[in-house]
Amino acid sequence: MLKKWFFFIATLVFVSALYACSGGDDGDSKEGEAAGGDNVNATGFPIVEEELELTIFANKPAQNEGNDWNDILIWNTYRDLTNINVNWNSVSPDALEENRNLALGSGDLPDAFFLAELSNTDLLRYGSQGAFLPLNDLIDEYAPNLKALMENDPTIEKAITFPDGNIYSMPSLIEDDFLSLRLSARPWVNEDWLNELDMDIPETTGDFYEYLKAVKELDPVGNGDTIPYGGTDIAELVQWLSGSFGVMNHGASNTNLDLDPNDDSKVRYYATADEYREMLEYIHMLYEEGLIDQSIFTIEWGQFLANASDNLYGSMIFYDPIELFGEEIGSQYNSLAALEGPDGHQSYNKLSSSVWTPDNLVITSENPNPAATVRWMDHFYGDEGAELYYMGVEGETFEIEDGEAVYSDHILNPEGDMTFEQAIAQDLTWLGSISGIIKADYFQGGETAPQSMEAAEKIEPQVIDEVWPRFTFTEEENRILQSTGEDINKYVEEMRDKFITGDEDLDNWDSYIQTIEQMGMEELQEVYQAAYDRYQSN
Amino acid sequence: MAKNQSIQKGRGAVIKKNFLRNWQLYLFMMPVFLYFFIFHYIPMYGVQIAFKDYFATLGIWGSEWVGFEHFERFFSSYYFWRLLKNTIILNLYMLVLFPLPIILALAFNELRNGAFKKWTQTLTYAPHFISVVVVVGMLVAFLDPNTGLINHLLRALGMDTIPFLTSPDWFRHIFVWSGQWQTLGWSTIIYLAALAGVNPELHEAAKVDGATRMQRITRINIPSIMPTIVILFILNIGNFMQIGFEKVLLMQNTLNSETSDVIQTFVYETGILEGQYSFAAAVGLFESAINIVLLITVNQIARKVSENSLW
Repeated sequence: MLKKWFFFIATLVFVSALYACSGGDDGDSKEGEAAGGDNVNATGFPIVEEELELTIFANKPAQNEGNDWNDILIWNTYRDLTNINVNWNSVSPDALEENRNLALGSGDLPDAFFLAELSNTDLLRYGSQGAFLPLNDLIDEYAPNLKALMENDPTIEKAITFPDGNIYSMPSLIEDDFLSLRLSARPWVNEDWLNELDMDIPETTGDFYEYLKAVKELDPVGNGDTIPYGGTDIAELVQWLSGSFGVMNHGASNTNLDLDPNDDSKVRYYATADEYREMLEYIHMLYEEGLIDQSIFTIEWGQFLANASDNLYGSMIFYDPIELFGEEIGSQYNSLAALEGPDGHQSYNKLSSSVWTPDNLVITSENPNPAATVRWMDHFYGDEGAELYYMGVEGETFEIEDGEAVYSDHILNPEGDMTFEQAIAQDLTWLGSISGIIKADYFQGGETAPQSMEAAEKIEPQVIDEVWPRFTFTEEENRILQSTGEDINKYVEEMRDKFITGDEDLDNWDSYIQTIEQMGMEELQEVYQAAYDRYQSN
Repeated sequence: MAKNQSIQKGRGAVIKKNFLRNWQLYLFMMPVFLYFFIFHYIPMYGVQIAFKDYFATLGIWGSEWVGFEHFERFFSSYYFWRLLKNTIILNLYMLVLFPLPIILALAFNELRNGAFKKWTQTLTYAPHFISVVVVVGMLVAFLDPNTGLINHLLRALGMDTIPFLTSPDWFRHIFVWSGQWQTLGWSTIIYLAALAGVNPELHEAAKVDGATRMQRITRINIPSIMPTIVILFILNIGNFMQIGFEKVLLMQNTLNSETSDVIQTFVYETGILEGQYSFAAAVGLFESAINIVLLITVNQIARKVSENSLW
């Protein structure tokens, strides 16, 4: 008897295990079919009459580590206003790509993705297969604020429209003339040391070199520990200097791509240009002479901050020094603009497009009410929404003083050893998470601190006229970008760092160019050219 | 053979009888069997995405077949030879050090049960319990060009600093030897167990015959643990292409990727980070294919040469 029972149970376990494994495939039939405008008000609040639950997958940046988006002032307020209850599935940036791709790969989709760093390749891929919804009509109908912005600035529409004519995402935007924010990390020099050396603020690449060299000799820290230039990433320095050597002349959104200075109907892959070589020679010289931190390729953010707090750096590209290193050390720094290069180039190219990222909100096929979701997002493209997202609630997180919104005292001067950022993160979520539109009038952060604003003013006259957003590509082009494109970009990045450190001699430039051509540069060039032509004609 | 055939008829009955008599043993086996079946055999159906253009909403079965397209792309990729070369060299390097734990175990075995033996053993085991992330953190702390201990020392001695972390030449040495530091003591355990099983009478007889310590090690100890050595060697080969990938990833940067770029980090990059599931699956499958060929070859050789083998 016992034996029979054993067989029965064993078989049962076995079969149910099999069933559990295969069951996942047919579970996700179309629940989102009913997506319609039944339960949505065309204007005003609430957005829906019957409470709507949405699950949104979001990137939750490090600054927001301590808060819970499912129970925080901003989202509670907005839930009460809209009657839409968002269930945030927030993931830290370290695990973002992995979690997002697993969600996409398993077909277990949330109702929407919020700032999930979806590339244009992914948007098109999943969009054309129906996993992401095309939003053109919904934006027309339910997103008056975004539509107004798009009519005002055609770049926005170009940045989010794919070659198939569809829009799969709502972008996050920066008000065009809010320059300080578009600059993100910017260059600084230690003015106390400049004074000690009796030098002026460097204005040419030559001056900058002389300054770094003098700092190294002066060695104000002592023991040879002074670091003339330090940063968290060599790319920051390369991008800043690109304006002094005449490359990257339309911003950094498209890797290694700018406009051919000799023919403005053509794009140029500038990593093979002579100007780029000249720039690498200059940076190599700095590195070779020990003027650039020798650990810049491996340094962690925390170590950088620790070094900066010990006041080891003579210059750097970073965010607001006073906010981050405190008054005593931070106030020693003064900002730099673009340096004039050996061939007279002097422009500031290291800034983002006014389209910060195209993938602010992406709506999936699982979403029960896309129209309401679009309206939910659209609020943040208007003044009221921008105020709510970046300033919070009047009387609770900000006050109006002389017609200007200013954070309340408990945020500006938090109790105990809490920082400004930590105080913000208790009620608001915008830190590291740029959503909707940022307007200078409704924003108060490191970028609007006096030191950073002053830097932006100094830089403003040198800023390039047009900054391209990320281009969009067809499915076929994406295939080439993913194989040949990825390979070439990887090679270029590796070689850039090797040329800089001297691991690879710049005399080998010709074989570098040759390798890139063998890898399929011509094909890649065609893809980029086609994307640019579309961008121009759209 | 002939005997087997003669009882062929009654075989089914015998198996049934055996099964019924020993059903408790089969019951014990069941969880392990289920584990392998559920977690190692069933997921294999997913391997087919290496030959398909996997798309999540279409599912594994619904995605379109593309044949060997992903394999062709990998083989013709610029990085193919570099990845293969790095993976193989790094593994060979580690394989060459295979005798180290054996030597250490033989040495431990000669220490006679003192406090010293226990201490040294514990000391060599300890690093095994440190997480990879911490080990890499320690490497950075020791080897950093500015703040690292070693480079401080070099500077104090008036020598040039060495960019250990960004140098392709140093990567393999640092990777392999820090790995040895971490696992050496732990790997001796299994050999020590085998050595404990060596018949003491053999040693006593050898002593009477006037054999030296060295002779007793080479003539008695090593031959006695040879089967263990061979089996462990074959098992090692079975994992040949699978280096501790997390550690490579943590130690990797653009400057050392010339030697640190290996197949597994490539799979992680393209599969998980870029979301090219099918391509990454094809690359992973290629790696597994190499593994299985190596495993079978080495097992075959071992069977011929030493009469010890896995099967």
